[in-house]
Amino acid sequence: MTAADAVNTAIIGKGLMIGGGFIGPGIGIGLIGGNYLQAVGRNPEAAKFLGQALIFVAIVELFGLLAFASIFIVK
Amino acid sequence: MLSLFASSGPVVNVAPGTVFTIAGIPITNSIFYGWIALVIICITLIWVARRVQIKPQGGLIQFIEIGVDFMTGFIKSSFEDESIALKYVPFFVTLFFFILLNNWLEFIPVVWGGIYSHGVPLLRPFTADLNATFAMGLVTMGVVYTASIRESGGFLKYLRHFFVGSPKNPLFLIIGMLEMLTDLTRVISLSLRLFLNITIGAIVIAVFSYLGHFLAPITALPFTLIEVFIDALQAYIFTVLATMYLAIAVNHSADHASDPEFIEEETKPNAKRLATNNV
Repeated sequence: MTAADAVNTAIIGKGLMIGGGFIGPGIGIGLIGGNYLQAVGRNPEAAKFLGQALIFVAIVELFGLLAFASIFIVK
Repeated sequence: MLSLFASSGPVVNVAPGTVFTIAGIPITNSIFYGWIALVIICITLIWVARRVQIKPQGGLIQFIEIGVDFMTGFIKSSFEDESIALKYVPFFVTLFFFILLNNWLEFIPVVWGGIYSHGVPLLRPFTADLNATFAMGLVTMGVVYTASIRESGGFLKYLRHFFVGSPKNPLFLIIGMLEMLTDLTRVISLSLRLFLNITIGAIVIAVFSYLGHFLAPITALPFTLIEVFIDALQAYIFTVLATMYLAIAVNHSADHASDPEFIEEETKPNAKRLATNNV
C-alpha cells in the first residue's frame, strides 16, 4: 500500500461512533417521550410527572454524550 | 488541546488551561471563573435572604424564591419524613443554585474565548471542567453517604439495605455486592453528565456558528436557546438525583423485603399521598 492509497480511518471511525452511539439514546428518549404522552393521554393527571420523565431523559442522554466525547480520543 | 476540525474549524478546548500560578500551584481558567461565580452567588443569595418578605416585590428576589420553593417542594415530597427532608434542604438548594449560576454564566460572550492570557482563554465555565464536576460529585456523594449512614443508624444497618434477603444466601450476597459496585459509579455518572452536557453544548453552538458563516447569529440561536434550557435542566437533575440517592437509602432504612409488614408499610404512605392528590 503506497502513501497515496492511505485512508485516514480515524474519520470513518468517528462517523461510525457518532452514528452508532446516537441510535440507542435516540430510541430511548423516543420511548420515554412516547410513553409519557401515552400516560398523559390515558390519565391527564399524569401530566405533572414531566419532571420525572426528564430525569430519565437525562440518564439516557448520558450515553449519547459519551459517544460524542469519544470522538476526541480517536486520532 | 483538542480542536473539533483539523485546521480551519472552531476551536473549543475540552480540557481547561492554566492561566497563572499562585505559589507554584497552577490556577486553571475554570477554577478562576468558579471563584467569580462563588463571589456572585454568595453576595446575591445573602442579599436576597435579608430581603425576604411575605409579599415579594418581584424581580430577582421573586425569581430566586420561586427556585427555592420549587426545589424545597420536590425534596419534601421525595422523603417520607418531612423533618428529615428539612435537614437536607439547605445543602441541595444551594447545590442547585450553584450549578445553575455556573451553567448560565457560560452565555456571557467573552467566556469561552475573547479574553486571553498567554494564549489560553481567561474565563471558562466551572462546570465545563471534569475536575470541577468530579469534585462536586465527590462532595455530593460524600454528603449523601454520610447522611444515609446517620439516618439509618450505623454503618452496618446502612450496608444491610443493599441486601434484599439474608446475606447468608449466596444469591442475595452476590446481588448485594453488585448493588454496592453500581453505587460507586454514581460519582462518575453525576460528574460526567454535567461536564459533557455543558462542554458539548458549547461545542455544538461553536459548530453551528461556524457553519452559518456570516449568518452565525441566526444558525446558532436555536441551539443557544436549547442550551439555556438544558443548563437549567442539568442543575435540576444533578440535585434531583442526589436527593433520590439519599431518599432511597433513608426511606427504606428499616425494611426487609421478606417482611410481610414491609409491603403494608410501603403502600400506606403512597395510598395516603394519592388520596390527598385526588382531593
